Amino acid sequence: MTDLARSGSRASDPADRPKIVRLHPFGLDGARTGPISLATALLLLAAWFLVTHYRLVPPLFLPTPQEVATQFLAVLEDGYAGATLWEHVSASLFRIFSAAVIAASLGIPLGLAMGLNRWAKGVFDTPIEFYWPLPPLAYLPLMIIWLGIGEVSKIVLLTLAMFAPVCLSAQAGVRSLPIERVNAALSLGASRWQLFRTIVLPSALPEILTGLRIGIGVGWSTLVAAELIAATRGIGFMIMSASHFLATDVVFVGIGIIAVFAFAFSYGMRLLEAWLVPWKGKS
Amino acid sequence: MLQVRNASVFFSARDGRVVHALDRASLDIDANSIVVALGASGCGKSTLLNAIAGFLPLSEGSITLDGQPVASPGADRGVVFQKDTLLPWSSVADNVALGLRFAGIPARERRERAEELLGLVGLEGFADAFPHELSGGMRQRVGIARALATDPKILLMDEPFGALDSLTREQMQELLIDVWARTGKRIFFITHSIEEALFLGTNVVVMSPRPGRIVARFDLDFVRRFAAERDVRAILSAPEFADLYDEIRSLVHRPHAEADVRRMVLQ
Ligand SMILES: Nc1ncnc2c1ncn2[C@@H]1O[C@H](COP(=O)(O)OP(=O)(O)OP(=O)(O)O)[C@@H](O)[C@H]1O
Ligand SMILES: [Mg+2]
Repeated sequence: MTDLARSGSRASDPADRPKIVRLHPFGLDGARTGPISLATALLLLAAWFLVTHYRLVPPLFLPTPQEVATQFLAVLEDGYAGATLWEHVSASLFRIFSAAVIAASLGIPLGLAMGLNRWAKGVFDTPIEFYWPLPPLAYLPLMIIWLGIGEVSKIVLLTLAMFAPVCLSAQAGVRSLPIERVNAALSLGASRWQLFRTIVLPSALPEILTGLRIGIGVGWSTLVAAELIAATRGIGFMIMSASHFLATDVVFVGIGIIAVFAFAFSYGMRLLEAWLVPWKGKS
Repeated sequence: MLQVRNASVFFSARDGRVVHALDRASLDIDANSIVVALGASGCGKSTLLNAIAGFLPLSEGSITLDGQPVASPGADRGVVFQKDTLLPWSSVADNVALGLRFAGIPARERRERAEELLGLVGLEGFADAFPHELSGGMRQRVGIARALATDPKILLMDEPFGALDSLTREQMQELLIDVWARTGKRIFFITHSIEEALFLGTNVVVMSPRPGRIVARFDLDFVRRFAAERDVRAILSAPEFADLYDEIRSLVHRPHAEADVRRMVLQ
């Protein structure tokens, strides 16, 4: 007994901090993947370097990393196709962000309404289910015919692409709400609006954020299509116009820039999630 | 007074059959009483509680609280659920004060009232913790504090201690009796455990399944005795306790008990 007590007194020694433990998470809850991802990136870069160094692939198909880096600096300095690099980037970012803001401010309320209201669901279900599996390139000609070749048609195209995942995830968020939580709030005297504000919205928030993240991803992948429409600015335009001259190195520069922004955005969304829904998976 | 009169509930099962979940149940819950519903699984206890809470409309019959018919959920009936329904994004204090927030009470006052209630259920110092940092028993206590916060006329509890270990369960039973003795709340309590029913109830109704109906009623005084003397051992070892235990046990285990509604008054 005394022995047990003595061996158990380790923790009370101030110099010897107790070993802090926590529940084993399921899946990837908060596990550090950064170093692994970094190593993978370096490995891919090394593979790229080796493949081009030993000319396993013709340079027209796959430029060397050095060429791409040089081209990046050149584009940074002199611009490309009559606009500076920053003008290309900001044109694309402006389109993506305006589309994201519009898609979120329409998609979230509409999705919530569709999860809660028979009429909203009935009216909007058919058009949304009809249009959202369509590839944006398929309705791109219609956008041009209806809305012209200005900014509007590009932003509308991106908005349409981002809207569906946001709206569907908001609906799913409402559906995932446990009925006991609703009943608990009602028996505490919640009004309809209070129920929505304090129970439905926070419960749906994790799903909404996931939908936003997917939506932004879809937005980036639609960007090149949107900038096919008689654009003179934009990363997508830069890539398309470079491909016409078989300037693979510029194509790579463009792809790299999109990748960096998409990655930064995704990371930002993850921070936002950690800040807004820290309870996710803990209830 | 809460009155349930000839309450019947019919559900439709998945295959289209009709389930007679509750058959003409009648029940009074007076001031200062703890009415415990006891019965095997599926005998309609939760159905009855959901109807009283206003989550479920009746097929037939009526429920009134102080003369007012019960139609929808409201803050005059506090509910403690078996599953914990605390909001994971709110602190313990905010969870307790949720009903006060709905009532539009200012934050300062809410906080004071929440801390007071946390003291009542023995959770001083946990106001700023989050639900996932608490044990099951602690969460259930937060649930009780939350239900008490809006000062309801009656507390409805659906197997609130069902998921707890027996030690915590005993503590929670004593805590509930303390809360009841101090606040004088009416309580409707559901349990599977005969011992819990005998220990907590001023009235115990025994229910039987298919169709769910009340087959026996008992008036008891063990809980008042405990509130006065605080001697668990004396109560559990009392011969009346053992006799009643056996009697109810045979009632609950009889497969289709006849509707032999009877009353028994001790002392
Ligand atoms: N929503 C529903 N739809 C169909 N049948 C239901 C529904 N809810 C309950 N029932 C049926 O009604 C009967 C009574 O159910 P209830 O939940 O009231 O039982 P209970 O006494 O609370 O059981 P337990 O002690 O296991 O919680 C059961 O036969 C059940 O299958
Ligand atoms: Mg039940």
